Order: sequence, then structure tokens, then C-alpha cells
Amino acid sequence: MHGGEVVEVDTPNVLEVRNLQVNLNTGTGLVSLLEPVHFQLGKGRVFGLVGESGSGKSITCKAILQLLDQRRMEVSGSVRLNGRELGSLSSEEMRCIRGKEIGCIMQNPMNAFTPVFTIGAQFIETLRTHTGLSKRQARERATAALADMNLPEPGKLMRMYPFQLSGGMLQRVMIAISMCLQPALVIADEPTTALDVVNQLKVLRELDRLRMEYGTSILLVSHDLGVISQMADEVAVMYKGNIVEQAEVYELFNNPQHKYTRELLQARPRSSKALSPL
Amino acid sequence: MLQVREVSHSYGNRNWLDRSGSRPVLENISLTMDKGSCYGLLGTSGAGKSTLGKIILGIEKPSKGEVWFEGKNLYHSSRKLLKEWRRDLQVVFQDCYSAVNPLMTAAQIIGEPLRNFERYSPKELQRRIGILLEQVGLRPEDERKYPHQFSGGQLQRVNIARAIALKPKLIVLDESVSSLDMVHQTQILSLLADLRTHYGLSYLFITHDIRAATAICDHIAVMDQGSLVYQGGDRESLIQCAHPAVKQLVSSILPEHPSERIVLN
Repeated sequence: MHGGEVVEVDTPNVLEVRNLQVNLNTGTGLVSLLEPVHFQLGKGRVFGLVGESGSGKSITCKAILQLLDQRRMEVSGSVRLNGRELGSLSSEEMRCIRGKEIGCIMQNPMNAFTPVFTIGAQFIETLRTHTGLSKRQARERATAALADMNLPEPGKLMRMYPFQLSGGMLQRVMIAISMCLQPALVIADEPTTALDVVNQLKVLRELDRLRMEYGTSILLVSHDLGVISQMADEVAVMYKGNIVEQAEVYELFNNPQHKYTRELLQARPRSSKALSPL
Repeated sequence: MLQVREVSHSYGNRNWLDRSGSRPVLENISLTMDKGSCYGLLGTSGAGKSTLGKIILGIEKPSKGEVWFEGKNLYHSSRKLLKEWRRDLQVVFQDCYSAVNPLMTAAQIIGEPLRNFERYSPKELQRRIGILLEQVGLRPEDERKYPHQFSGGQLQRVNIARAIALKPKLIVLDESVSSLDMVHQTQILSLLADLRTHYGLSYLFITHDIRAATAICDHIAVMDQGSLVYQGGDRESLIQCAHPAVKQLVSSILPEHPSERIVLN
């Protein structure tokens, strides 16, 4: 089941990032935020991006989405989505791609919705911006998508405001919106960091379904190695604006090459002995 | 040291004639904490963990029940005693940025409780602040920084320094490490463990992260929909507990290695 999108057969990679580099113009000089990074993401694959805060994970996502402030940041390099170079597109064309072809799930779901409109209004607006659906069709699609996300009482949910929902529920509403538009790529930037473990698993479950049922590729950003080991096929470890190591998930966990990766793997709290004071 | 006796609490309808609209958030909670212990309070969001934390801190009067701290009833005591307790009970919240005044430097933030409770000379105050900064692993020059100049992990250290400034007896850690990344989380957890032995502190560690809780706590309780459904000592008996809420928490722990993946769909 695919939307109107024609998937080119000869491009196995949904996303190809080459030499992506970001510099911050401070007025007195350039500060490098992202050293040239390269990675590819195949169809239906999950690419995990790990690293501590400030290592450049979110900058990478924003650079791909062209959401960085162009007056202060200098972005160079190539980002190709299904073989199409995104760098050469106008901001108008890019706006059509964000949402429709690249879905986005952010860390704080409370800030991703407008507090003054209902979930339903925002859902329908997003659908109608990117598709030719009528209001009624969009409403039906939205309600069905919410039910599909295992959210209780979707009809009632449509009339609710974001603050009436929990973080986990909002995050699943975000995934439902993405699911409806069937993007080729979803960028999930710390999608479960604000959630408790039970809700985290629910969100991961729906993300996994997005990939299984629609073949969506997922760029999964997280500092939580549990999330990465659960979801990712391939992992890149970021440190100070660099990808210091990149490998298949098993390879990375079994055989970490870089010193920082090993540190990261050891940083997980394990038993009561590891951290007891004496 | 601390005893919570049959505490119930509800939010919502404040009308004393008609309480029908109020929503119970805590039901009949009793727990005992010993001096020097680290008590982990687990549960999903909305289980009532933070409300219980606030009641123990003395900032939210429970609808029913009592809180006893060192042999005295917290909610029936003189002003003088209450002021004492303000020293002895401290808290570190999850969102470190909103827990500090953005217009104050680190030195002012850490110095505030000292200025309120102690009568130090400016020089002595400065010296104390220096010691505290060092104890939480910050550099002396950090004292002139404002909150926005710190990373989350560093600012959480400032918050911890403020909490230990008056040498309290109990610190409530309300999801204090949850929003930090793994590396910083581990650092803060071992800092907390060190401070505990150094000052003989007790912690009430509120979290939804079983791993973090089992890493530093010697006693664990699980809350679900306002009730305590499990109390126990070690990790093994927690994992074996048959209560559905505990089971759900335990089964939601993500794997440490991709070979142990949970079957999602």
C-alpha cells in the first residue's frame, strides 16, 4: 500500500548524506558544529544516531531538514532523498517535502502542537496541506489512524487539546500523522526521552509498525542505548560533531572500536554493585 | 527517620461540602525510611510518585494521614520546627533549568540557602560555595556562570550543590537524572552515591527507570494509580513480583544488547 509516490527502483538508498557539514557564524569567526558526516539509509531500515548531548545529533537532523537558521549557520554537503538532491530545492519545495516525504517526530511533543487548536484540527490541517483530501475524508483518515495507534476513543481524542493528553499519547498522535502521509523517511529525534518506560515501549512499538507496514526508513536519534539496541539496524556514534564509529548494531555492541563507544557502552547503570559507594 | 502513615490525597474539587468531583491521587500509603537509606519510588507517569514526594517534603498537605519526621508530625508543628525542616528536607527536580532563577549566577544559586539559614561573613560564604562546587565536580570559575551557560548535566550538579549546602537529612530526587544522557546520568548517580556516604544522607529517589533505581537504591517501592503495590529490597524479588503494574514496568526495560530485543509486533 503506497501513496501517490513513485519509488525509484534503481536507488536502493532512501537517504544519502555526503559531506554534510555545519559551521556557526559567530560574527568574529566560524565555529564548526558538524564535521563532514556521511551515511546512507536503505528502505525500511532504522539508522541509529547516538552520542551525548551536544555531540551534534540534532544539528544533523536539522541540517537534513534544512531547518537551521541560514543567516547564522553555513551548511554544505549533499543530502539526497530517493536520489533527489535536497540542497538545490527552493524553500517552497522543501516545505512540501517536510511532512510529506520526511516525517518528523520531535523530543517534546507538547511543543510540537499548537496549544490553541484541537488535535483533530491540527491533524486534518496537516493531511489537507499535503494531500487533496476533503475535510470529511481527512477526518475519517485521521480517526482511523488514531485508532490504529491503539489510542483509546479516537473520536473523543480529535476534539481534545494537546494539554489534555499525556506525553506518550501526543507522541503517538505525531506518529499517526506521519503514518497517514506515508513518508519515505521519518526523522525521530529523541522520540521517547520525555516518556516513562511503559509509554516508551508503546511508542517504539508503533514506530516499528511504521517501518514494517509502510517500509518507512527511520533516522532514530537517541542518547539511550537501550532504544538503539532495541530498534536500530545500523548505528553511528557521534562525538563532538563527528561520527567516530559506524557499524551494524550487533557489530557495534559486540565489538566497539572507538574508545568513546566503549565508554558509552560502559556508562549504562547495571547492577547495584557497579555504583555502590564503597 | 521518616514515616508516612496512611496518607491519602486528592486533587480537584476544593469545595468542603461536596468532594464528589475530586480525583484521588494517593490512597492509603504507608512507608518507613531509615536514616542513611536510599529509597527508590518507581512507577509510570501519573502514578502519584511526585505527589507523594511533595507531601514528604512538606509542601503539599495530604487530605488524610500523617507524615512523621524524626518523631514529630510534619503537618502539625510549630513555625520554628517547620523552618528546621526546610533545612533538613531538600529536593532536586527533573527540569534543572526551571528549578533555578535564570538571572542568578551559580554562586548566587548555591549561596541562597546559606544566606537564608546561616550567618556567614561574605568571605566565609565564598569559601563554602567554592567547597560545594568542588564537591559536585564543577570548576571554581563556573561560579560566575548563568544557568543558560551550563549544560543540563552541569546545571543539575548546581542543583545538587544547592540541595546539599545546608547538610540536609533527606533529599527527594524527583526524576533528577531522567532527562540526562547516559554518560551524565552515570556520573550524577555516582556523585549522589559518594555524597550519601560523605554526609550520611538519605534519598527518596523517584524515577520510572528501574535500572537507575536498582543501581543506587537499597529499598524499592512501586506505585500504581495512587497505591503502593510493591515494597522490597532487591532487584530479584522485584523482577519476580506478580503484580501486573510491576510486571509491565519490568517487561518494558529495553535490552542492553540487540540480541535481547523485545518482540514488538
